[in-house]
Amino acid sequence: MTEALGDTPTVVKAAANPQGGRFAHGNETYLALVWRRFRRSVIGMIGLVMVLGLLIMALFADFFAPVNPKENGIGFAPPETLSFVAPDGSFSLLPRIYPIVETGEFDPVTFQPLTGPDLSNPHTLSFFVRGYDYKLLWLIPANIHFFGSTDGSAVHLLGTDKFGRDILSRAIVGSRISLTIALIVVFITTSVGTGIGITSGYLGGRFDAWVQRFVDLVLAFPQLPLYLALTSLIPITAPSNVFIAFVIAVMAALGWAQLSREVRGKTLALARIEYVRAAMAVGAGDGRIILRHILPNVLSHVIVSVTLAIPAIVLLESFLGFLGFAVKPPLISWGLMLQDTGAFSVIGSYPWILSPVGFVLLTVFAFNALGDGLRDAIDPY
Amino acid sequence: MVTDMTEATEDFCPPERTDLNQHGRELIVDARNIGVTFKVEGGTVQAVRDVSFQLHRGETIAVVGESGSGKSVTARTIMGLLTKRATITPGARILFEGKNILDFNAAARRRLRGDRFSMIFQEPMSSLNPVYTIGQQICEVIHLHNKVSRAEAMKRAEALLQEVQIPEPASRLKQYPHQLSGGQRQRVMIAMALANRPDVLIADEPTTALDVTVQAQILNLIKDLQRVHGMAVILITHDLTIVRQFSDYVYVMQNGEVKEHNRTEEIFRAPRHAYTRHLLASEPKGAANPLPGDTPVILEGKSVRVAFTLKRGGFFKPEYFPLIAVDNLSLDLRRHETLGLVGESGSGKTTFGQALLRLIPNNGGEIFFDGEPIQLKTRQQMRPLRSRMQIVFQDPFSSLNPRMSIGQIIEEGLIVNDIGADRKDRLERVKKALRDAGMPDTILSRFPHEFSGGQRQRIAIARAIAMEPEFILLDEPTSALDLSVQAQIIDLLRKLQDEKGLSYLFISHDLKVVRALCHRVIVMQHGKIVEQGPVSEVLTRPKTDYTARLVRAAFEIAA
Repeated sequence: MTEALGDTPTVVKAAANPQGGRFAHGNETYLALVWRRFRRSVIGMIGLVMVLGLLIMALFADFFAPVNPKENGIGFAPPETLSFVAPDGSFSLLPRIYPIVETGEFDPVTFQPLTGPDLSNPHTLSFFVRGYDYKLLWLIPANIHFFGSTDGSAVHLLGTDKFGRDILSRAIVGSRISLTIALIVVFITTSVGTGIGITSGYLGGRFDAWVQRFVDLVLAFPQLPLYLALTSLIPITAPSNVFIAFVIAVMAALGWAQLSREVRGKTLALARIEYVRAAMAVGAGDGRIILRHILPNVLSHVIVSVTLAIPAIVLLESFLGFLGFAVKPPLISWGLMLQDTGAFSVIGSYPWILSPVGFVLLTVFAFNALGDGLRDAIDPY
Repeated sequence: MVTDMTEATEDFCPPERTDLNQHGRELIVDARNIGVTFKVEGGTVQAVRDVSFQLHRGETIAVVGESGSGKSVTARTIMGLLTKRATITPGARILFEGKNILDFNAAARRRLRGDRFSMIFQEPMSSLNPVYTIGQQICEVIHLHNKVSRAEAMKRAEALLQEVQIPEPASRLKQYPHQLSGGQRQRVMIAMALANRPDVLIADEPTTALDVTVQAQILNLIKDLQRVHGMAVILITHDLTIVRQFSDYVYVMQNGEVKEHNRTEEIFRAPRHAYTRHLLASEPKGAANPLPGDTPVILEGKSVRVAFTLKRGGFFKPEYFPLIAVDNLSLDLRRHETLGLVGESGSGKTTFGQALLRLIPNNGGEIFFDGEPIQLKTRQQMRPLRSRMQIVFQDPFSSLNPRMSIGQIIEEGLIVNDIGADRKDRLERVKKALRDAGMPDTILSRFPHEFSGGQRQRIAIARAIAMEPEFILLDEPTSALDLSVQAQIIDLLRKLQDEKGLSYLFISHDLKVVRALCHRVIVMQHGKIVEQGPVSEVLTRPKTDYTARLVRAAFEIAA
């Protein structure tokens, strides 16, 4: 409609004053457009906030963990109860917590020491208290924690595991390894998958045919037995960081194929679009066409697939960890924490050790919700 | 200019027609004050504002305007096919046989649709469902509004196909849409629209997607059927030639408003509103300026041949056979000359053009650019020549990368060809190219989606001329654009040619544009050259039947 009168001055004016009609969003950049549309998705915004929260939690894990995750205490202690009622019956904004202690009695059958809350000695909880020493961001020595008991004694809001270590603190610190594995694996699979997909689709011909058969092969592998077989190749004595690197390598080796196939499909379509032909006509080389014309246009798809691949890897890690094939102590990950839940008798007696599942659930939901919102927003044109 | 138009608007479009009921015909649709708003991000857009029109039985009214003027929204309002985001303003009325159909509930509107009101859409390729046979699709429409047996419906379908002049209607009924040509599909669409003998037929750009020679047949068919069945037709189009030939009364729309309406002869004889005058004046006019003397040949193709290998037969017995798209064609183009390459879709004109630029490989023949043989050069070896030969594509919406800013798009050719001393110099060249193409040079950091089709095509032209080429391949650069924008682009191309001494190879199916821009013309059909010669000669005295048909389709309707 801006060209209605169409002589050059009108065109110029319409371009300079983008108002009304289809030019309503005149001067906005791509990112601003994406953000404007993303904001409309409630679920996407929830996902974004949660993902940011998770990343901050992982980055400052020691600050958020109330108790040293490696410190032992009473094994399989149940979650301690919070109370906002002071002993004299009045309401208090500062919560108290009744620590679980050994009562001094023994189970008449198993002769294990019995535990229970110590009602006489409540700890007061507070924010920003002193606790165990750590290094903030691996650099700055610190001992302030987000919350904890004012006297520095241990609080176990989610109970303890079989060695008496605080589950909440371990889950917070464990998010580091779980998310790191996921981010590294997805970084590798995404770069490899995108690279191979674009080259294969753009070059086409025989190269494309062979690459696609190889992708078929990778996709056709029964993945789970392969994971188990490959991880069992690692010597049992290998240090835990070598082990983790190997796990990452295995996950990455099997994860890139699906994305590369999707990217190839998009590239096939894009390579026939006229702006690519126009770039060829101005004499641009293959590298330039791939980087400047094809990559930016498949990137939206890739970004969405990243947000959906991360939760998949978190799930895979927790599953393999449960089987004992992902992370070895002394490192902590959600999967590793779930390893203790293998026996029914343990879950039956101490259900709180399942709580890392909650963290996995939240992570998967957060990234999926973010991906969902992004998918709707990322192609604003 | 803009202001005097809005002031004058009131005078030319009273709510009632200038010839209301003078024919003694029954008034069938009386629409008053239709307004439609759409919810969009950050507010609403008024797509149609205060549109009133009247329609009599047995006549054709044309709604004319450029894209975005609200013609199709008006049509969809009548049909009741608006999207959920649209709101009809409260005061609107559409009286059909005395009743306001806007007050009807959804079921009542549905009963009208396909029965009393029918619509033909622009794109025959996508408006038929590919998984049903033609017969099933026509029968569906019949069954929706009539209780008849399957056999009876099929019999009616066959009669309908006969009526729309499809040969062998009985066997066509069992065929699927992909087995029919575009023109035949549009005939099937018409048959479906006529299945229940509607009172009103809305034809929304019914021939825009079809080849020129087919256009006239389809429109004549609609006209004949109208005469037989006495239905009223609302013809929505941007093509004034069609309007003049086929309509009794014209409504001119712009920016969602009716600017002027009158009987067809009156509109063409004495247009009163500035916009109507502008629209009438924007038919491509003029001719190419004469060639300056004897100029050297810049591009020469000798028996160029392009064939694609197709595969037939199964996995065990594959048969390969060539599809010859360009069959031993030769042409030569001189400096400062425009050579038109004309033909219907599928005639191989685009393939020929791109092969001459070595954008697709040729399987034989010789190509010389400025005396240098280029048919054996690899893509690598072609790169030094790329800055001297450029291309402008048909669709300005897909020829600009949506993720690059205008500055980046135009600068790219300069970067890869190492033109310009430094970035500052390159930016100067980019700005100059934009100014030459009639765009402001302040838009470097903006993105393609912020511009309209005509503006984008100017940007695409700026990209081509920024490299200061000697030759530009113009692949239907105006066919995706509105008429008045077309005329501007043609003027721009002509101006650039004179200023810079460019040579154009102009690919088009529109002989009107060819007449306005080209010195010589080559007519192609099925990969072969049918006729060639100076424009004035070929268009006035066509030697072959095929060319004569093309010329008739383009010009004679208007006469």
